[in-house]
Amino acid sequence: MSQRGPRSQPQSAAQEPAGTRPFSFFRAGNRVDAAGREKPILVLEDVYKYFDRDRPVLRGANLTIDRGEFVFVTGPSGSGKSTVLQLIYRKLMVDDGRILFCGRDIARLTGESIPFLRRNLGIVFQDFKVVPHWTVAENVAVPLEILAMPQKVVRARVAEALERVGLAGRGNDRTGVLSGGEQQRVAVARAIVTEPALVLADEPTGNLDPQLALDILTLFEEINASGITVVFATHDHSLLEARPHRLVVIDEGRVFEARSGGEAWAGSGAAVRPAALAEPERPPVRGLAARVDLDPAALVPLHRVPG
Amino acid sequence: MDLHTAFLRARRGIREDANLYVVASSSLVVAFLCLGSAVLAMTNLSAVSERWSRSGRMTIYLRDGVSDADAQRLRETLAGLPEVESAVALSAADARAQFARDADLGGELAGLSADAFPASVELSLRLGTSAERTNEIASRVVRVSGVEGVETYRAFFERLESLVAAGQTGAAVAALLVLVCVLAVVGNTIRLAVAGRRDEIEVLKLCGATDGYVRGPFLVEGGLQGVLAAFVALALLGAAFFALRGPLDGTVAALTGVRAAFLSPSAALGIVLGGGVAGVLASAFSLRRYLAI
Repeated sequence: MSQRGPRSQPQSAAQEPAGTRPFSFFRAGNRVDAAGREKPILVLEDVYKYFDRDRPVLRGANLTIDRGEFVFVTGPSGSGKSTVLQLIYRKLMVDDGRILFCGRDIARLTGESIPFLRRNLGIVFQDFKVVPHWTVAENVAVPLEILAMPQKVVRARVAEALERVGLAGRGNDRTGVLSGGEQQRVAVARAIVTEPALVLADEPTGNLDPQLALDILTLFEEINASGITVVFATHDHSLLEARPHRLVVIDEGRVFEARSGGEAWAGSGAAVRPAALAEPERPPVRGLAARVDLDPAALVPLHRVPG
Repeated sequence: MDLHTAFLRARRGIREDANLYVVASSSLVVAFLCLGSAVLAMTNLSAVSERWSRSGRMTIYLRDGVSDADAQRLRETLAGLPEVESAVALSAADARAQFARDADLGGELAGLSADAFPASVELSLRLGTSAERTNEIASRVVRVSGVEGVETYRAFFERLESLVAAGQTGAAVAALLVLVCVLAVVGNTIRLAVAGRRDEIEVLKLCGATDGYVRGPFLVEGGLQGVLAAFVALALLGAAFFALRGPLDGTVAALTGVRAAFLSPSAALGIVLGGGVAGVLASAFSLRRYLAI
């Protein structure tokens, strides 16, 4: 589990009254009460997910992410990176275990409460998921319109978000004519326009060239610097090597801590020896974790977090 | 989601799928034209039926050569009956003049001889006079010398009533067909719109839109389709009705005793609002089936 505390939070917006639905009490990461700020923002506890009864995608996955962290999630294709993210934003349901978001078990949310969970998340995808025939501003404004914010506020916050992602003045452009990198910036602007508590990025650089990928990563780091927790799923080694963020590896259905944020990736040294990593009750590490240059001592299975 | 946002998003949706909506709405206009025409015919037939059922009229046609004095004596006798509200003796010339006036055919009848129409005695019976009593009076009057025949209009009225009943059935069937048509056309339009906006719907859901927020614009689009199609159909029907009524109204009034009337405002409003409700329902059914959220 990470020991790092929350980063400094951005200027707080007006406190909103608690609603009757789960998560309606909670807007962005900077607006929870003091007790909420102490809790990890996200906890996975012994999470199991099956698509095939005999081959679970996740087998007792455990992970804790503190408020304000930037976490890389990596692993080979099909290891379950996207599944973890989809479980968090409740596109999928866990088959066993718990996922606590701000201390609340989102696995128990009813269908009608899921939208209220998602309003606290910003989600960015590899394929951008922008509406190409809408303007940039229309795409970015979607989360604010869902929150029924006044048009004046919507315009101001969209302009602010576009400025943050380097698209100032491009609001009236049709999104479909933008380059891939610019479309991804639109998606990022949409993800952060409500100042969510947590941004989930599912291979956001997968369709971009290396330089654009680094630019987008930098953008996420800037977002993280403003106090938003970022979970960045990628299998792009160059990104993992370029930035010293906390790294979590998903492999064989389990989640492993590869390094904490303070450690340097490049200096980790020896190749992984799966046999040396295995705990008695854990399977040996294979897949990506076995292929990369990784200090075996840093690859520690994450344990269940006390409730 | 508030209605204002739903309307704004529906407007954007209609703008994006303009061609689809124009084609679909055209089909709906035709359907509503059929319904409007049926209701219009029904309305006027009902008015004629109502007029004749209330009239309690009897016309006694006199033989040629019956003097005005004899006609007046017959009128006075009949006026003395308790069931008779009024009795008017019309000479052949009076009958011709009255027809020419009612039918707006004064010029065309100029060459007609004065005795083209028979002299008659027109009776107005009191409200509530039974058919049996009317027939009894007619059978006694027809035996009076100088009387050519008696018209009670009962047979005509009965035929009219069965025509109105058939018209009502026809209008009901037309309404049902229009409902089916609206359900099919709006339903398919919404299905196509949903298919065309999959990306948009996915984005909305990922950004935290509730089911209602996603469905709202589609319901508004379905309702607007129904309302606009019904409105356009009634506007076309109204234009055709008033264009035709000018030259035909006098003749129709002379033949039926009732001036042709367009749909009442409440009936027109009912059709337009009914179109809207049917559109919303069709959209809701379609969304339930094709929009898995």
